[in-house]
Amino acid sequence: MSDQRIEGTANSVPSGTAAPRHRVDPLAIVVRFQSLIGLVLVAIGGVIFSPRRHGEILFLNPDNIANIVRAVSETGIIAIGMTFVIITAGIDLSVGAVLGLSAVVTATMMISGGFGLIPTILAVLVMGVVFGVVQGTISTRFRLEPFIVTLAGLQAARGLALIVSGNQYINISYGDGPGLAPPVFAVLGERLFDNTVPVATIVFIIFAAIATLVLNTTRFGRYVYAVGGNERAARISGVPVSMVKISVYAITGFASALAGIVHAGQFNFGSANDGMGYELTAIAAVVIGGTSLFGGAGSMVGTVAGTIMLGALANILQLNNITPATQLLATAAIIVLAAVLQSLVRRREGLGR
Amino acid sequence: MSAPLLSVTGAVKRFGGVQALRGVDFDLKAGEIHALLGENGAGKSTLMNLLSGVYTPDEGEIHIDGKPVTFNNPREAQAAGIATIFQELDLVPSLDVAANLFLGRELIRPGGMLDVPAMRREAKRRLEAIELAIDPARLVADLSIGQRQVVAIVKALSYASRVLIMDEPTAALTVGEVERLFEIMRKLAASGVGIIYISHRLEEVPEIADRVTVMRDGRVAGITEPHAPQAELVRLLVGRPLDELYPERARSAGKALLSLRDASFRLARESAGWQPPTGVSLEVREGEIVGLAGIMGAGRTELLSALYGTGLAGRWQGEVAVDGKPVRLDSISAARKAGIAFVTDDRRGSGLMLRMAVGLNLVMSVIRRISPAGLMSPRRQAEAVTRSFGQFDIRPKNPDIAVGALSGGNQQKVVLAKEILGNPRLLLLDEPTRGVDVGAKGEIYARLRALAAQGLGILVASSEMPELIGLCDRIVVLRQGRNVAEFNGGVDEHTVLAAANGREA
Repeated sequence: MSDQRIEGTANSVPSGTAAPRHRVDPLAIVVRFQSLIGLVLVAIGGVIFSPRRHGEILFLNPDNIANIVRAVSETGIIAIGMTFVIITAGIDLSVGAVLGLSAVVTATMMISGGFGLIPTILAVLVMGVVFGVVQGTISTRFRLEPFIVTLAGLQAARGLALIVSGNQYINISYGDGPGLAPPVFAVLGERLFDNTVPVATIVFIIFAAIATLVLNTTRFGRYVYAVGGNERAARISGVPVSMVKISVYAITGFASALAGIVHAGQFNFGSANDGMGYELTAIAAVVIGGTSLFGGAGSMVGTVAGTIMLGALANILQLNNITPATQLLATAAIIVLAAVLQSLVRRREGLGR
Repeated sequence: MSAPLLSVTGAVKRFGGVQALRGVDFDLKAGEIHALLGENGAGKSTLMNLLSGVYTPDEGEIHIDGKPVTFNNPREAQAAGIATIFQELDLVPSLDVAANLFLGRELIRPGGMLDVPAMRREAKRRLEAIELAIDPARLVADLSIGQRQVVAIVKALSYASRVLIMDEPTAALTVGEVERLFEIMRKLAASGVGIIYISHRLEEVPEIADRVTVMRDGRVAGITEPHAPQAELVRLLVGRPLDELYPERARSAGKALLSLRDASFRLARESAGWQPPTGVSLEVREGEIVGLAGIMGAGRTELLSALYGTGLAGRWQGEVAVDGKPVRLDSISAARKAGIAFVTDDRRGSGLMLRMAVGLNLVMSVIRRISPAGLMSPRRQAEAVTRSFGQFDIRPKNPDIAVGALSGGNQQKVVLAKEILGNPRLLLLDEPTRGVDVGAKGEIYARLRALAAQGLGILVASSEMPELIGLCDRIVVLRQGRNVAEFNGGVDEHTVLAAANGREA
């Protein structure tokens, strides 16, 4: 996925019990690229099963493609952050709620607070980071399971969002002057380059590119893999484990806040109920992308492919007027398939479970 | 003469292109304890897996009482009377002893309720049959490793009672527990059970075995009687003589690296079973390998982990100096700053990222050095990995393989190489060759001696007395957290043992 550097998963593992030999396991290759392969399969399926109008394949219509990548950009941004957390063998359940809180705060600050665009965005991003730092600190300081801490964080963020919004939709109206958002903010709901590429998608792609570089080329990225690979060994090797853990929750906090801003800009309002269930979609995308919930292994490219694959799948089912119920069942099947593939490889590596 | 209880003839087993067994003949008599020795990869696990029905042989036959048998799965082997106790005991720690003994074959009252009193009674009877006084209502989690081992044996014998295969049963036991286990094994053998005993510990062989089979490279290298000299066993195991196992000692040591004077580690909170260093005085000089001896619980591991800041919370009192300057060793970062590195006795639990590649593991302690300005440098990483592979003969020579797929000996080399990359001045080693085969042991000893010759100071704790005596320049004996005696390397084993046990030699 990256270059000659070795990712978290080993790319070749000997079979048998005696005298290991250097041989490439085809199954391991499939798992390594499972989400890309899945994405290609879904795309092929999309073309085959797409409804046609005057011979045009609707699935490949530029507007439809733009719709797919726009629809996944918010959960995609969150899944990028979630990848860091899951590689450390953690989990962050608060992301959807922090998205809601951020959307509400964004709308409130610009409309009733009269803050400008830049101060609002900076304040919301800082808030997301602080939220993550608090969760990470509580989890490391008191040695609590991230599952519990971020479950509490989910409730807290929803509660705060309700307080800030007074349980109302905060509508964003544009214009100059107090109580109005600067019109440039509405760009988040538009498309650039001859009205083809959604701005939200551009934010997603830029964030994904930066995250990929951080994970694959920096010392911090290596620490993230190390903490998930074996926390005690990492500590003994001098890795600042607590700092790394707090940082990854700061990253999910930042990602959720960014997604919240994009959400407010796309839909022109903020509501305390925004982002419901996004945490589960994001986790699904990360797992389908080949990142192990046991930690220590995973890739950002996989997460991006997993995110787009889920979006493309939902799209092709919608185009064929297949019910949301069936969409959920299809997603379930794909998650199980991805997990089973990973488990097979682990067993073949002789690493149990 | 009647047919042996169990025999294997011409067993061949291939995995892909790898031939794990190349025609093995083996037999076991009723009432016999037959030791099966071999380095990792010699084929003894494969042979064991054939006998316990995990694998089926590609060629060759298995006979019981002279009749050919085939096992398609472990249940069929059990039905034929073969019980296997793997290293990882198949006990559930959160259930009590009786529940474990009856796991999967619970006694049920009419109506579907568990008949707990009946199971406890029967469990008690079976435990007492081998004179083990364990309350069947105790949780397995509360038992010592030795007691768990015995519970596993009783459980195995309850569904297969003719052949007992034990894979390194003494690996995690204390000396006293080993004795108890051996008594039980002798008792079982006397009652007619045939026992195949797999071990790395050569010194146990004459004590327990009736016969010894040594495997090497998928073949039987030799069958010998248990009182054959150790040198002969080692020659069969590795194909070269014993005196090459330990390298020559250093001629002179440099200035003091680590010195403790009446140093004690005061725990923030007392903890049962954790023996803090208490008034320890010792010195490790440049170029010197110093051993820590002592019985289980004497505080060897505790001393090392307190020096490295990975023990329980607490602080040092008394004089602790590195390079003649007093230091506060209260955290991992303080220890690393002082040039100290540590290799724990638990490489899978706290040494390695098992699923990650060998190369990634190797550079783990030097990530800072190979990531200038926070960016990983592939070139510097490759250089570091090349250096490690040059120093330690890690097999296979492929840094991209998951480290968990390597043999124990090679994993241990990776852990050592990883810490050496950080250029420590003082290396703390806890059980540096646990679960490592004899061949790799020799390589590790040679590397350690070579590193010491370059000025590295090494403090090594080990429960294997021959290792301390063969490897170290000096041996410090600990008892109840305190240094009670000191010997030069090459001292005889009984003198050290006597000091460790608090007796006159």
